[in-house]
Amino acid sequence: MKKYNITVNGNTYEVEVEEVGSASSAPRAQAPAPKAAPAPQAAPAAKAAPAPQAAAPAGSESVTAPMPGTVLDVKVAVGDTVAGGDVLLILEAMKMENEIMASRGGKVVSVNAAKGASVNSGDVLVVIE
Amino acid sequence: MPVNKLEDLRKRKEKIFAGGGEKRIKSQHDKGKLTARERMALLFDEGTFVELDAFVTHRTTNFGMEKVEAPAEGVITGYGQVDGRVVFAYAQDFTVIGGSLGEMHANKIVKVLDNALKVGAPVVGLNDSGGARIQEAVDALSGYGKIFFRNTIASGVIPQITAIMGPCAGGAVYSPAITDFVFMVDKTSQMFITGPQVIETVTGEKVTAEELGGAMTHNRTSGVAHFMSSTDEETILEIRRLLDYLPSNNMEDPPQFDPGDDINRLVEELDSIIPDNSNKPYDMHDIIRLVVDKGEFMEYQQYYAPNILTVFARINGSTVGIIANQPKVLAGTLDVNASDKAGRFIRTCDAFNIPLLNIVDVPGFLPGATQEYDGIIRHGAKMLYAYSEATVPKVTLIVRKAYGGAYLAMCSKDLGADLVLAWPTAEIAVMGPQGAANIIFRNEIGGAEDPVAMRAKKIDEYTAEFATPYKAAERGFVDDVIEPSTTRQRLVDAFNLLESKREERPSKKHGNIPL
Repeated sequence: MKKYNITVNGNTYEVEVEEVGSASSAPRAQAPAPKAAPAPQAAPAAKAAPAPQAAAPAGSESVTAPMPGTVLDVKVAVGDTVAGGDVLLILEAMKMENEIMASRGGKVVSVNAAKGASVNSGDVLVVIE
Repeated sequence: MPVNKLEDLRKRKEKIFAGGGEKRIKSQHDKGKLTARERMALLFDEGTFVELDAFVTHRTTNFGMEKVEAPAEGVITGYGQVDGRVVFAYAQDFTVIGGSLGEMHANKIVKVLDNALKVGAPVVGLNDSGGARIQEAVDALSGYGKIFFRNTIASGVIPQITAIMGPCAGGAVYSPAITDFVFMVDKTSQMFITGPQVIETVTGEKVTAEELGGAMTHNRTSGVAHFMSSTDEETILEIRRLLDYLPSNNMEDPPQFDPGDDINRLVEELDSIIPDNSNKPYDMHDIIRLVVDKGEFMEYQQYYAPNILTVFARINGSTVGIIANQPKVLAGTLDVNASDKAGRFIRTCDAFNIPLLNIVDVPGFLPGATQEYDGIIRHGAKMLYAYSEATVPKVTLIVRKAYGGAYLAMCSKDLGADLVLAWPTAEIAVMGPQGAANIIFRNEIGGAEDPVAMRAKKIDEYTAEFATPYKAAERGFVDDVIEPSTTRQRLVDAFNLLESKREERPSKKHGNIPL
């Protein structure tokens, strides 16, 4: 994992770049810039890390935020086994405590949202394998 | 009559009834599918099916087709009774040249549609076809065109139901799409414009037929299909169940049943069904189940846009179409897909004289750039349009949130609701208390010594004053605020009152619904 500070029009963004795999013939040096998901430095620690943009590995399924909102509670942890329909977390949006449920059963391999984090629609919240 | 003539007739029929022969019938059964004749037998009341055009044959001579025999031309057509009412039907026979559609095959279906329209009876199509019969070239294409045209002319006059019970690809998909209701059988049916092979050749994208156009895909993702069942038998029984909710044509009312349930039943559970905290979700199905006859209903597009529920049920023995927000999903907001689903359902009900019950708990339209880019304005407009246009009895029940444009879109008084009832838990306003307080009391909050406390105080003030049904009731936008436990009897009374409702619209060719 490498950290970069990128300044665009006077705004500084802190970007973390993780190398996935190796020995790619693609000019890797240019890769980080377009990928820079805006993660303002001033954001509180609780701010969810922007969802990993890389597609989830084959055989796993990402549960994404259906609408923009705030994570009120996270009910699962990495390593938990869940069944389809289990509540993974509570997302407060549109003045409603929405239950975000597992679309299928499996093992939780990643939880990308912390309690109190603001998320956008489409952000990956939990990955189930 | 000489005996040999009768013998001859019987032999001819026997040959036709054998369809594609034992081997192909076995292959059909091995795939978990019934044959066309078995499906027809299940659809109709026992012994009522009358077959038409069994002797029709194709007249192609291209590519050696003159030597190919196609019993019944690969499609069984006719009429019969479903629970005592006349219904027309056709069933494509996959065992005969893959159920492929040629000129005469199409003509048989065309005759069914023409006859059904003439007598005002529903049509059921059971599709199981490899597609156009390529040997017949443009004659086959013409066949599809004739069917599309008749489906459209019959639309809104007689109910048209299609079940996809095998492959349905290319041009064949558009006849089902024009009809009112599409059923699919899980795992054995697929619909797509271009199949997986073509997609892979053209775009390199690899996708299985099931992922691309299976029953779940069209029920959950695309919204092309309305119902899904796991077997042929179950699908046909569901079609029969749906027909019981529908009239035979647009000039009749849906059949009346014995309610089998007390019309004055008080439902105590309803008094406590809305959570104390208005940010908590609950399952809207529970409210529906508690107010309709015997708790029975049939859900339309159960898997698509589940943030709005559209169901057929009965109240006092008569069919009603219920449109209800589902707070459990997407907070019950209206989005592009929910608007499309509800808009289509409202028009289906209006076309077939089915009164509407609208149960409202909606915080607003779903905000977001994606929704705006997808045209939520254009799609949301369909609901406003469909409700305004509908002349059937319209009863609106506001159980909790009814905010802003979404309040209007759920059939407010101004869109022509004949009767609006609200529970004491209703909150009818332009926007939620938090947002409203920030705007109305901006100066007070900003100038206060403790802005946070002042804001909370103002929110409480606003909530007490405006987040209630009483402001709307003062203006007459709500006809009555009722105790939830009395909902069933009030709905029975409302639909009874409105049975004789008559409403005229200016005559026109047709309106111009935003599509």
